[in-house]
Amino acid sequence: MSVRLLSSDSEDFTVAKEVAERSMLIKNMLEDVGDNDNPIPLPNVTAKILRKVIEWCEHHLGDPVTNDENERRNTEIDEWDQKFMEVDQETLFDIILAANYLDIKPLLDVGCKTVANMIKGKTAEEIRKIFNIVNDLTPEEEAQIRKENEWAEDR
Amino acid sequence: MFITTTNQDNSNFNTTFNNSIPDAPPSPPVSSLCTPTPAYFPSEQVKCTFQHLSSRQQEQLLTDIIDQCDHTQLAYLHNLIAPRLKVDFLKRLPMEIALAILSHIDKPFTLAQIARVSRHWNKLLKDDSIWKRLCAKYAYDIPYLHAVAQPASSPLPVLPASYRALFRRKFKTNADWQRGGQIRYVDHGLDGLVTSLQCDDKYIVVGCDNHRIEVFDTATGRKVRTLLGHEGGVWALEFKGGDDPLDPDRILVSAGCDRDVRVWNLETGELLHVLAGHAQTVRCLKMKDKRTLVTGSRDYTLRIWDIEQGKLLHVLVGHQQSIRCLDICDNILVSGSYDTTARIWDLNTGTLLHVLSGHQSQIYSIVTDGEKVATGSYATHIRVWSVKTGECLAVLHGHTSLVGQLELVSSPHTERGQPTTWRTTMVSGGADGCIRVWDWDSFECLQRISAHDNSITCIQTDHRWMVSGGNDGRVKLWNPHNGRLIRTLTTPAKLVWKLQFNESKAILVMQRPIDENSASDQGDKTVLEIHDFDP
Repeated sequence: MSVRLLSSDSEDFTVAKEVAERSMLIKNMLEDVGDNDNPIPLPNVTAKILRKVIEWCEHHLGDPVTNDENERRNTEIDEWDQKFMEVDQETLFDIILAANYLDIKPLLDVGCKTVANMIKGKTAEEIRKIFNIVNDLTPEEEAQIRKENEWAEDR
Repeated sequence: MFITTTNQDNSNFNTTFNNSIPDAPPSPPVSSLCTPTPAYFPSEQVKCTFQHLSSRQQEQLLTDIIDQCDHTQLAYLHNLIAPRLKVDFLKRLPMEIALAILSHIDKPFTLAQIARVSRHWNKLLKDDSIWKRLCAKYAYDIPYLHAVAQPASSPLPVLPASYRALFRRKFKTNADWQRGGQIRYVDHGLDGLVTSLQCDDKYIVVGCDNHRIEVFDTATGRKVRTLLGHEGGVWALEFKGGDDPLDPDRILVSAGCDRDVRVWNLETGELLHVLAGHAQTVRCLKMKDKRTLVTGSRDYTLRIWDIEQGKLLHVLVGHQQSIRCLDICDNILVSGSYDTTARIWDLNTGTLLHVLSGHQSQIYSIVTDGEKVATGSYATHIRVWSVKTGECLAVLHGHTSLVGQLELVSSPHTERGQPTTWRTTMVSGGADGCIRVWDWDSFECLQRISAHDNSITCIQTDHRWMVSGGNDGRVKLWNPHNGRLIRTLTTPAKLVWKLQFNESKAILVMQRPIDENSASDQGDKTVLEIHDFDP
């Protein structure tokens, strides 16, 4: 059984049903419409990102589904996923949005963990550099925040 | 308008660009006709051309331009492009995803940095769900327990108004435990040998061999009063109360060499009862609550008293020698004696349930959780017994001298960083200076710590810390989970008499030389130290 998916930029993808069903959104849609040859439109996902998402779903096809939030939270990112997530920030951003829209929790988790890992152990200045953030805090505000958080400043 | 698809056109570009003048004035407004004019800087034309290309063609054009660049220009391009490829994830993602990202960050250091990144990042950190999860992760949200958990009767934890504030406070207290907090020294008002100590947030009560009981204010270290009346050394004391708003008075009981038990109102200092009956020194005592007290004596008996009414309920006879130690859990009373046996009694009726025989020498320490009893003996062994059947379940070897300290501790057992169940361990301290930590179910020895150069005089453990005092004058703070020394709590004294700690304070009673800097011996003084980790 295969399913057709249509990206926002009108590219038609044919994927195995069980791959597509890693997405809870698609799974529910398929249950609603039943067997039907029409492509499922995904107006929020470009072909470029959909290709990445499908690649991820195919690789993780055999993964057990875990609903234990703690277990999901505490699992490290595996090597394949680390490689998979070695993309520019805009792509990572789009993958996270797509995982959220398509409701693929484990992919969303990997995306969130990847961003969290970029933040971990960094100073405020380093974080601003990594994400090109302009510091919009006044020096007084920053001094105040620094004072409030003195207790946590030890590494 | 031209379209680049071939190499031929490519060269066409080169010639066009080569003719451009670098510092040309700004281009005039461009009409809809994009004709390249080599006379001035063709920026607008190129832009216009670029916009009309297909995406493949655009990529090709960019590649061609980049191929023309030297290193300096490439570096310039890189600096221009790199920041534009970056994304402020936490700002651009929906709030719940931003919070999910932050939920993977556990280190307060990083969270403090995040708070300073920008206004938006700072605002995200105000979401209390982040701190609630962290409190759970660090086990800061569980109620503080002194001893074995009693889930049915233990009060439910009150939900904090702000988990962020709770986390911050507990994290600070934790750091101060490890680094050292504020120390208040009280070096007058105490004298001689100290036998007993108990404290809570309001009072520190010290029982002394000089017949006196000294009461101090925990917050200030100032002496509140001296309880006089005993005609011999005070050997044991305990108080209960202060936690029930409907019945706030603390009731203190004390006993010792003069054989009488005294019941006091700790708040007022009023003597409520003098309970006579024991024929020898009272060596140990334990309150079940503000109503029921058990005492053990060198007259070989235990006595159960109603201290509210001031009357004797039961005399427990059977031991053939002095009673050295006792413990209570609910209605189970256990006693250890120099006659080498321990006994299990029903606290309500005073009935003997089991005689525990097996030790070859005097019993010095005893603990129970109502299901099992552990006894520590002069001959270095610890035995564990079943309360129900009285049979010996295990003999624990390891100490090389008498086992004077036994304690049961409940800690939250964590799996993958999340506390799941309670796990009980037993801590034993010996005259050999060693501390051992045992699994209370499998009786496996989990830690062996060479803690002091001389016998261990006192020890207390909770789910975070273990503090031990020794005859070597040192007080040491340990991690009970891995047995590692965290630090020595104060400058070495001559002796450590007693210690007690709660979540944020450690109280030490020690003997120090009167003049620590002087080489000549000018005698000793008894000192009280209040280490405050939540100032």
